[in-house]
Amino acid sequence: MRRSPSAEVGAASATQRTAAGGRSGIGRLVPRLPILGDLRLGRRLGWVIPVLIVLVTAIVGYNARAIAQQRGSALIVNTAARQRALVERYTKDVLLVVDGFQADPEESGEAVRQPVNVLLDGGSVRAPQGDGSRVEIPPARDWKVRRKLEQDRRLIDELIRTGDRLLDGGRAAPDYAAGVTRLRVLSAQLSSVSNDAAQEITQQTEASLSRLVRIEIALGLLSVLAALAVGLLLRRAGAEQAAQFRSLVNNSSDLITVLAPDGKITYQSPSVQRLLGRRAADLVGTALGDLVHPDDRHDVNTSLTRLVEAPGATANLGCRLQHQDGSWRHVESICTNLADDPRVNGLVLNIRDVTEQAALRKSIGDLLHNLARRSQGLVDRQLELIDELERSEVDPDRLDELFRMDHLATRMRRNVENLIVLSGVDQRRRWSESVPLRDVVEAAVAEVEDYSRVQVAGVHDLTLSGQAASDVAHLLAELVENATSFSSPTTRVEVSGGPTGNGYVLEIEDHGIGMSDAELAEANRRLAEPLAADIAVSRMMGFHVVGRLAARHGIRVQLRHCWFGGVAALVLLPAVLLGSAGEQPAMAPPVPAGVMVSPEPLLVAKATASGWQPRAHLPLRRHAAPAPNRGGDTDAAAGAGEPVE
Amino acid sequence: MAWTRAGRRWAWALALVLAALALAVPLTVARRHEPTPSGTPVNVLLKDFEVQADAAVVPAGTVSFRILGQGPTTHEFVVVRTDRAPDKLPLQRDGLTVNEEAPGIDLLDDAGSLDIDDRQTLVLRMAPGHYVMYCNFEGHYLGGMHAALTVR
Repeated sequence: MRRSPSAEVGAASATQRTAAGGRSGIGRLVPRLPILGDLRLGRRLGWVIPVLIVLVTAIVGYNARAIAQQRGSALIVNTAARQRALVERYTKDVLLVVDGFQADPEESGEAVRQPVNVLLDGGSVRAPQGDGSRVEIPPARDWKVRRKLEQDRRLIDELIRTGDRLLDGGRAAPDYAAGVTRLRVLSAQLSSVSNDAAQEITQQTEASLSRLVRIEIALGLLSVLAALAVGLLLRRAGAEQAAQFRSLVNNSSDLITVLAPDGKITYQSPSVQRLLGRRAADLVGTALGDLVHPDDRHDVNTSLTRLVEAPGATANLGCRLQHQDGSWRHVESICTNLADDPRVNGLVLNIRDVTEQAALRKSIGDLLHNLARRSQGLVDRQLELIDELERSEVDPDRLDELFRMDHLATRMRRNVENLIVLSGVDQRRRWSESVPLRDVVEAAVAEVEDYSRVQVAGVHDLTLSGQAASDVAHLLAELVENATSFSSPTTRVEVSGGPTGNGYVLEIEDHGIGMSDAELAEANRRLAEPLAADIAVSRMMGFHVVGRLAARHGIRVQLRHCWFGGVAALVLLPAVLLGSAGEQPAMAPPVPAGVMVSPEPLLVAKATASGWQPRAHLPLRRHAAPAPNRGGDTDAAAGAGEPVE
Repeated sequence: MAWTRAGRRWAWALALVLAALALAVPLTVARRHEPTPSGTPVNVLLKDFEVQADAAVVPAGTVSFRILGQGPTTHEFVVVRTDRAPDKLPLQRDGLTVNEEAPGIDLLDDAGSLDIDDRQTLVLRMAPGHYVMYCNFEGHYLGGMHAALTVR
């Protein structure tokens, strides 16, 4: 069973659909916004969002333009205003030179020309902040401003010509007085026109800024409207999606139940009406446990208690829930602990009705059981016949052949019993008294065809509950046969045992090629969580049977790699099944399968139970005849007790 | 008569149009209506730096000065009664503007600032005599921005 093809259920061919495939029109143009999550943009929303983006961009652009314009305008006004001072300086420089003082009218004349040239033709001027930086000023575009500046330039030319004449003629010139007056008049006219230009520029700047402000206000209002529209449409989209979700939840065949940590239902989807005939509102506030079948309540409580302690964890749960009419519905549930999610704050159970599957499973189980029972009867009759032949046969060669037939038939019977185990019918053999563990082990070994390769050593003198003896022998036989089947015929399979703190461990080691980590994990999963009878079981039947048998008695079985190669199967027999010689061991209560899952490894402890004594009981399997070379005595074993069917 | 829904809609639309017309027409008419200046008209042109009038002599009575600014500089229009020659008006201490409070100068009125293409009408009741029209911004008068007017 170990190296059967790892029949992974076919690689799932996931069909992926692109979101774009289902979108049309604006939906293709507008990218999905991550902030919206899976909220779908409607057609209107798809248009409004770009409009909003355009408006906001326009506001930002206009702001930038306004700031740039404001700065440039301030510089222009400053430049225009500065001209008056420069004209006065030039006039003084001319008069100073004429009067014989030191001055540089040529330089101040150039300084007078520069601002108007820059304002008219564009250019760079020194920034008023005084950090030495220069700022580009565009040429004036307004016709009124240009006309004033051109007049300014003409007056400056005339001013400088007048100044030059004064400088050339000096005080002695006959038109000196007229020249000085003309210089002052021109200076005043220049001041007038400069102020005029500066005022015009200021007015235009104010008008431009005012226009920008009005446009920004309009854009802002439009943005507010667009934002409101986006909000309304988003709300509408959210409401539609919520309605869609509600409709899905209400019409789903599955139940969605949210449990508080104390087990009370805090939310119940309305589909419970169809499944259990109950109103969702009536269930809110009640305990889920009230609906669970009494036989399942312990498992459910155990699983939910574990889940409550692990936020974010998920667990599968199977149980029966009571319908309003008193019938029971089989359900399977995926439970997720979302206690950390403030929007849920509880355990979310996605419950599916599997009553029909359960009935089908039971039918399969019944079918398996019926077929197996018929085969079992035939095999038993065959074994009785072989037994009679063995008793009457004296020829050693024929006897050897009869023993081989006996083994084959015994193996067939075990296969049949496997089917009975898988059918779910508990029809095991039980003995009223405890059985020596060593005898159980040897009986298991004797059921294996290649028993001669098996070496039993170090099994302590303990007794095993008679209730579990048959199942344990079956379980061990499956494991031993697996070990002999998948190891070299020239190697030995060793069975040993040792006590642990909470029971006794039997270890079956082979020297085969071993298993991969994935195979080992899968096998251990099968052992820990045996499935119900279905198609998948047929692929790893042995492990399923072992898992089921182990689950009946709270036995843990685990496979692991051997350090020298091969695989070791560890079987932990719980203390409740064991007893020392002279004691009557207690009956092991059946333990649910869930209890079998344990994260702690099975460790073989040092032998410490030195006080245990063997008992004079032998395993009772009639045809588990020991091989001649092992010195067993099946007849002696036969009289120790009677199986309890 | 029972109004249909469509009929009511048309009636509302018609009422709105009529209301809009009732509001718009008077406004348009009022905009177009400019008071006709009374008295003798004198067209005055102000430009850098001269004052041009289309009449040098006008009859006594009401005179309407229809002033047009041609710039490029902003100018003002001042009318004083004086017997002085137009270029001999007394100046203030800055030497650049006319002293309108000086003896022999009788300020009649002035028409604020006129920028390029600005128009104003100044209506004055003028007795017979000599008058000077000028701009009294700094340097403008001395730049030649004055003209004489005789009223008979």
